[in-house]
Amino acid sequence: MSETSDQLLRGFQAQEKRFLERRFPLRFAPESPALRELYSQAKGLRWNPETDIAWSRFDPFAYAPAVREAARLVWSRRAWGTYPGLAENTALLIRFCLESGAAGMDAKLFLSFRPAEEAKHLEACLLFATRLGGYESTPSHAALARTSNQPFAQMALDPDLPVEAVVAALGCLDDQLDLNLCLGHLQHSRDETARQILRLAAGDKQRHVLFAWTLLAQRLPRLDGNGRAAVADTARDVLERVILAGYRNTWLLPREAREPLLAAEALTAEHGLGASTEAQEQAIVRATVAQVRERLAVWDIALPHVDHPELGRV
Amino acid sequence: MSTYLAETRYPLDLTPEMPDVWALWQRAKTLEWDPETDIPWHELHPERYPEAQIMAARLHWSRRTWGEYGAIAESPALLLRFCLENRRPDLRFFFTMRTQEEGRHAEASWLMAERLGGYFPQPQNPPTVSAVGTHGVRRMAFDPDTSLEGIFASLVCAAEEILIDAFKATVHKATNPAVRRLMELILRDEVRHIAFGWQCLDAWAPSFTPETVQNIERAVTQMIQNVEFNGYRNLWLAIEGGSATPLEIDADRVACEAGLGGTTPEDEMRIVPQFIQKIRARMTPWGVKLPLFDHPKLGKV
Repeated sequence: MSETSDQLLRGFQAQEKRFLERRFPLRFAPESPALRELYSQAKGLRWNPETDIAWSRFDPFAYAPAVREAARLVWSRRAWGTYPGLAENTALLIRFCLESGAAGMDAKLFLSFRPAEEAKHLEACLLFATRLGGYESTPSHAALARTSNQPFAQMALDPDLPVEAVVAALGCLDDQLDLNLCLGHLQHSRDETARQILRLAAGDKQRHVLFAWTLLAQRLPRLDGNGRAAVADTARDVLERVILAGYRNTWLLPREAREPLLAAEALTAEHGLGASTEAQEQAIVRATVAQVRERLAVWDIALPHVDHPELGRV
Repeated sequence: MSTYLAETRYPLDLTPEMPDVWALWQRAKTLEWDPETDIPWHELHPERYPEAQIMAARLHWSRRTWGEYGAIAESPALLLRFCLENRRPDLRFFFTMRTQEEGRHAEASWLMAERLGGYFPQPQNPPTVSAVGTHGVRRMAFDPDTSLEGIFASLVCAAEEILIDAFKATVHKATNPAVRRLMELILRDEVRHIAFGWQCLDAWAPSFTPETVQNIERAVTQMIQNVEFNGYRNLWLAIEGGSATPLEIDADRVACEAGLGGTTPEDEMRIVPQFIQKIRARMTPWGVKLPLFDHPKLGKV
């Protein structure tokens, strides 16, 4: 065990000790039909990256070596962006369990499924990158490594942060952007395999986003002023310091960290292998932030505007 | 978020390195099931059983629900640890599916209790807040001073193994088709969970230090003495009477005799000693020496 992982584990240990778990009464009856329905859908709409994607019909040699190399990098980066979902959602599940045995079973059951869904998306990215020439395990620039490595699992277990703030920032903002980008890539893809992966993943991501908005709709009206302020602050923080720093979009990274990935994304998009152009992604980012801001405003949560040197005011 | 620490994530290796564990992940994906639709609930017919048997079965399946809940409230902490410690990708992939399966078992056990007449959300004498009825795996997983090997040995190779030994030994007694199907489906998943634990420990065994071995011995001993012999799985085994009522203690036997799941004391007298002998022999090649355990009903095992 490294010194860092030891420290991180002690951090989780300290966080966990600050909760007082009341396991009983342990209620299982549905409290939220909408969340239980999302859980039921997750059970019914399961898929397997090994068998539900027509890998045998994918011919990597139909593409020039430079295109394959570009797409391999793009799908590796997508794996780096998917991987955090394993730990984040596990931490969120534990958080719900630590808060109460009596409430929130719909959310717990839903979250017991989600890490495996993220793992399937991860496997699909890995399998596609492998077929394109090989999965890349390390970002080419330190800034990208830093930006794509966010402490969201610690955030989910932080007793000083209301769980609603975590769900708003990660579920309603980041997951929503992830879904919208996935749908954008799907719309611009022509390769059958890339389309299959994106379509199957989008089906799951749609549920993940619905979960976040549904949960927030149920819990926000009961949240006090401090809690509501924490929701707005956390969402703004994630928007400004994570999303607009390039967590999901290469063109938002510092200039020196964008290549060779930005060129790879352009080439992958051009050949329909599962990416969008910078201009297309810009439109998605702007639309998503506007969409999230409008939806939060319904509950009188004001997501502050953020000034970005290239995007302007978002 | 500046107060949080960044983990060492890269290189993020995802290529399988443990073929047997990877095969379990692949298998788990092909054997998913849904408690709502894959159990022949129409064959349950609770109205055909006397009230005392139904009450016992409701108590038994409610208790199982609480136990399965521990696997979504506690053991997923192990996945966080795998990620922080950059353990092999196979472990991380497989454990996501394990959490999903345990959630399914909890839901299925709850549904069984409900359809038998009603789930009980707590023991008849609920534990205090400080004693939540837990096997303590989450605390162990977040404790850097507790080795992963010890947690695996105690949780997977002890606590889960005995659960499955009891299922295997009694599934044929479940004459009710809905109960039997549910037990078979849970058993099918749990066999993978146990295989995962043993495969990992077998793979790591060549690198065990004397300290690791002691850690495993301590963790398994505690799991048997403080959890299993405390009635976590079966109240009849509880050395101290605890707070369980006679109705609860007898529920497993009555439910089992009705063909509705559970075990009898005679089953336990046979299963538990065999289980201890089995894991003692299985762990011996690693240098692990499990002590003899004294139990007032089982004797020296």
